[in-house]
Formats: sequence, structure tokens, C-alpha cells
Amino acid sequence: MKQKSVLGPVFLIGWLILVAPLYSQEAGNDSTRSAKADSADVLDEAELEKELARQLGLLAGSETDTSATPQQPSAPAISGSVARAGSVLNPRISVIGTFFGSGTGNEAVARTVDIGLSEAEFSFQAYVDPYTKADFFVAFGREREDPFAGPDEEAANLSEYEAELEEGYLTTLALPFSLQIKAGKFLGAFGKLNHLHPHAFNFVDYPRLYINYLGDEGLADRGVSINWLMPNPFDLYQELTLEITSGALGGPAFQGNSKDLLYLLHLKNFFDLNDDTTLEIGLTGMQGPNGIERYRTRIGAVDVTLRWKPLRMNRYKSFEFMLEALLSRYEAGATTISSKALFAFLRYQLGRRWFLGARYDYSEFPDDNQRREKAYSAILSFYTSEFQKVELQYQRGLPAWGDAFNRILLRVVFVMGAHGAHKY
Amino acid sequence: MKSLMIRRMAIMAFTVSGLMTLQGPAVAAKKLFVVTTIPDLASIAEAVGGDHVETFAIAKGYQDPHFVDPKPSYMIKLQKADLFVQVGLDLELGWVPSLLDGARNPNILPGAKGYVDASENVPLLEIPAGDPTQLRAQGDIHVYGNPHYWLDPLRGKIIADNIHRALVRLRPEWKADFNRNLQSFKSKIDRKTREWIERLQPYSGTPIVAFHNSWPYLEERFPFDIVMFIEPKPGIPPTPKHLVRVIKAMKQNNIRVIIIEPYYSKKSAELVAAKTGAVVVELAGSVGAEPGIDDYFDLFEYNINKLIDAFKQAGIQPRATED
Repeated sequence: MKQKSVLGPVFLIGWLILVAPLYSQEAGNDSTRSAKADSADVLDEAELEKELARQLGLLAGSETDTSATPQQPSAPAISGSVARAGSVLNPRISVIGTFFGSGTGNEAVARTVDIGLSEAEFSFQAYVDPYTKADFFVAFGREREDPFAGPDEEAANLSEYEAELEEGYLTTLALPFSLQIKAGKFLGAFGKLNHLHPHAFNFVDYPRLYINYLGDEGLADRGVSINWLMPNPFDLYQELTLEITSGALGGPAFQGNSKDLLYLLHLKNFFDLNDDTTLEIGLTGMQGPNGIERYRTRIGAVDVTLRWKPLRMNRYKSFEFMLEALLSRYEAGATTISSKALFAFLRYQLGRRWFLGARYDYSEFPDDNQRREKAYSAILSFYTSEFQKVELQYQRGLPAWGDAFNRILLRVVFVMGAHGAHKY
Repeated sequence: MKSLMIRRMAIMAFTVSGLMTLQGPAVAAKKLFVVTTIPDLASIAEAVGGDHVETFAIAKGYQDPHFVDPKPSYMIKLQKADLFVQVGLDLELGWVPSLLDGARNPNILPGAKGYVDASENVPLLEIPAGDPTQLRAQGDIHVYGNPHYWLDPLRGKIIADNIHRALVRLRPEWKADFNRNLQSFKSKIDRKTREWIERLQPYSGTPIVAFHNSWPYLEERFPFDIVMFIEPKPGIPPTPKHLVRVIKAMKQNNIRVIIIEPYYSKKSAELVAAKTGAVVVELAGSVGAEPGIDDYFDLFEYNINKLIDAFKQAGIQPRATED
């Protein structure tokens, strides 16, 4: 065990020694831009033409005659619209690779050391027309053992990559009353973490709360999501989301059946405490079938995120605190099992490229509140640039069954292409 | 929990409404509400729009415009905006798309009437040649060219034209006012620019070192030369090896001034200065970077003053102005 837990840091140090001096690729925000961004409607006629086209529903993107720029005769035609040949009409494409290494002590897993590419995620994003936008995320991933679940020979020896549609949805852009509708398969509006892809997490593994209640990859179900930016006299950001999904992909707490659906309601409240500090408080309620006859599971959850990042030196210093907690009521015939789970995460930025984090996990199980899992993690992250990060995580796990174990996880996430901004 | 939240909301409500100073839709019913990504664009929009506009800039002047957090509260501003103006050229790629997606305001989306890409018709510098997919190997390179073009006052006139077109498009009935404002903005720029160039003329050709490549447009307009950067490649933090090279070059060529943006750590620049006896001067990258830089004219006034002070402090002798 001792030997194995040393592997992780060895990976990281080796990686840093090999690659750190070469890190000269930090870089900016280059990528394809919306082709319809810069039409130069200089002449009134051109404007009129556009206006008419818009009225006729022919839209907006049609480039007006850019040669007609009498107001700026001195300006050469090298304005913003220098397009990448051939890619103008393609969606925005990016590939995100995740390299993974782990060393696990005890006999918690069959494969105590593991290394390799764990996932390649392809994303495609574009406006469909003036009214909608589409996003697709396809991942090729390799399943791994979960040390909390005990050794799993089959998973340990899987070496094939399986393709999966992580998300694929259409979003409306122009509905009245600040409404927005999303339809397809998407990451549900549960808590704070769920709508992020795991490569964007500031730790390597999913918190136990997610794995034990919503599934190995969080709540990613197919259906419809309607959200409403609630107008209020204080100009506060309050967003109410209602999701109706199949329930088939809802994870351990839910099992879809053909007669019931999963309903989720999320209220997001966002406050600017001052220029440098923000607070987000989210409330989630959900209910859906749990696979036992016609019974249901109900979950109530709260998420709190506090962020501090001074505007002036925003690349050097920051602090983040995140807490998510849930209560679950799982109906099983005559009895209802109440259980709970939570995780808390802290992250402090040490310097421009270094972050130190800590996470605590506590989780019961939807159908068993007598057993619990706990985990303590410490995470060190190094950002080589905006497009690559290296994370090293130590974790002490106290599984519900079996002995406590120690493990070291290493992850390198790298991005190619124009990956859109993540939500704040 | 609930009562705490309500209390927080109430506190926030006061703060927010205090800060907003009447930008709500009720008051904005007549004025156009213009949201811009950086304060410089807001200042130009104010100059052209005059009393007909109310502006809000998302980034602060002392903030790195490449890295702004897309806070949901900005979506509320964008939701109410009549006009949205961005620098473009992918400068804001990391934060504007998600704000626009969340704002649910189709009137300000790219291509719509209330959208302005201020880079339109602006002649750009440093458009990289070669295969764009290989560019990240060069560091923080912008595919479309260097995006800091607002740091040339004459290009500011083109920005003003772009905003003017959009304002007229939205409120043709105020066209005469917008035209008048635009003309007076342009002639003031012309007058002031001549003045600024004259003041720097005695130091024409003075070589200086910059921290990051934010200043090519300022350098092109005004008579000084940026010969080296403290960053080894744009966006890459300085390495000791590169600093040694910079120090050597500065000593050999007698370079005595280093300029830096307010949002970068001054540590490495000061280190180099200590080794070479150079003066480190913090220039403003945007309106609002320092107190007193309240509009687009103040921005250049401040930077020119700072540069001249630095040249004097570094003991650079002004030359006769006949060249």
C-alpha cells in the first residue's frame, strides 16, 4: 500500500519535470466567431434591406455589402471578419482530453494502479437559427472501478472506450417573458455541480452525494427544461427552473418506469456582495419513480457557493467555498427511508497557477440510512495555461462496506479548439 | 435559512439599487440603455449618445478584459440593454457568450439591431499569418489580430462611428443629436491627439520594455518604441531565463523604462528594474483604471503624462523637436 500511494506524486512530479519548462502555451480567446457577427449596415438602404429581411423571417445573419463603407474610406477591409477558410459555417468544435492515473491502497479495488486516457469529450456548439442554439457533447470514456463499491474485476479489466452522448439539446433564445426552454438530453439543474462536466470540477472524482443518489455521471436525463429569469424590482438574479425528464437516467435514487416521470424544480439566487465577492444559494426539489412498483423518491437539496476574487488582480488570488446537502425520502412499500448526504469544498489560490483545495464527503444511501460513506480529500492543482491543468488528489475513503483506504488520483485535462465559457 | 436569505436579499436590494442609480426600465424608457464590455466603449457611447444614453460597462478599468467572470448579475444588465457593444476579435470569448446566452435578450445578439462589434472597419495590427490551429503554441495569440485597438485615439473615432450607426438605427429620431455629438467627439480627438503627439515628440524613438503586448496601437500612434516584453510569450508568466535576456538587452541598449498594466503582478518588472536601474510605470489600459480617468480623453492624458514623467525620472534627455 505504501508503495502504491507514492505513485501519484511520482506521476505529478514526473509530469511537471518533463513538461513544466515547455509550458509556453497559455493563450487567449481565439476561435471561430459567429459568422453573422459583423455585418456593416452603413447605408440606410442596407439597413432597410436587413430590416425587411428580418421582418420576412429571413434573418439577420445575411451579410450586408461590406464594400459600402463610405464613412471610413481609409480603413482597409481587414476588420473583424477575417474568417477561417472552410470553417465559417461549422459549429464551434472542441476536444477535451482527460488523462488519468490512480494508485489505491488496501484491497479496495482489483486494479490498484491505473493509468491512461480516461475520456475524450467532443463538443459542437452553434446557433441553429435566430431563435435557437444547439449544443452536443459526445464522450468516449473508459469505465473505472469505484473503490467505495469494492473490487470489481470486470470494470478493472475493461479497456474499451465507449461512446456516449453526454448532452445534446436545443436552447431557445427569443422567448418572451425571460423564458428559456431546453429540450433534449442534458445535465439537470440539480445543485451547483451537476450542470458542469467533470473535467471542469476542481477535484478529480465526483462527490459521493452525486454517485450514491444521482449516478456515476450526475443527473443527465432526457426531457425538457423550462427556466424563467424572475423579474424583481431589485434586479437580483433569480432563476426558476422546471425540468421534466424520463427518470430513466436518474441514478440510484430513481428508476424510470413507463408510467411516471422525474420532476425537478430549482431556484437559483445570485448575490453580488461586493465587487469581489459573490454568493449563490440554490434550492432544489425533485421527485420521480424509484423502480419499486409505483413508488417514488423525493429529494430536497440546498447548495451554497461563496466566491471571492479581487477584480484588480483576478488571476493571482481567489477563494471559493461550496456546500451541497440533500435529504431524500425513498418510498419502499409500507416504509419510507429517509437519508442524507453532503459535501463541502474549499479552494484557495496560492498564486497565478497554483490552487489548494480540500473536500469532505458524507453520504448515506437512498435505500439504506444505516450505512454511510465518508471521504477526506486534499487537492493540489496547477494550471499550465487556460487550456491545461494538472490535478493531484489525495483521498482517504471510509466506505460503507470494507476497510478504509487511501488513494492518490492524478488528472490532466487539456482542451483543443474553442471551448465555450463555463457558467459562473 | 429562509429568513437569512430574505435579509440578504433586502440588503442586496439596497446596495444594488444604490449602485444602479436609476438604470431601471422605468427610467430608461426614454434613454437608451447601452451595455459595453469595457469602460472605454461606454465612454465613447456616452460621447456619441449624449443625454440620450445611459451606460454600463461590465469590466472595470483595472480588470484584465481577457478574464472577466460571467457573473449572472451581468445577465440582468444585458437583459435590459437596448444596445450591447463589445471589443470583438475574441477578446471577450471567455465570458461574453455565456452572458448573452443567459440574458434572454434577442435584440442584442450578434447580428441583431442592438449589437455592435466595435472592431468593425478598424484596421488591425498583428494579424497572425499561418495555420490558426497552430497559434496557441505562440502563447496568447488572437487569430484576428491584436484586440487592444481602443488604445489608439484615432481608431477611437472608428469605434464612435460604429456606435453612432447603431444608435441611429435604434433611434433615427435623434439622428441630428447623434451626428452633432459624433462630430464634436471626432474633432476633439483630432485636436487632442495632435497635442499628445507633440508633447511626446521630444522623446521620439525612446525604446521601452512592456510587460504584456497590450500596447501596439498606442505605440503606433505615439512616438516611442516598445522593443521587448517581460513575458516570454503573450500570456506566459516570465521565466528567469527570459528575464536574464531582457536585463541584458536593456543594459546593452540603455533601455530605462518598463510599462505594465494595472492587472499584472509587478514583481518581475520590479526585479528587472532593480537590476537595470529602469523605471517601472503603470499605464492605464482602460478608462477607470485609476481614479481620475473618467473618460476616453482622460485615458490618453493620463498615459501621456505618466510616460513623460517616467522618461524624465529615468533621466532621458528631451531632444529638439525638429525631427
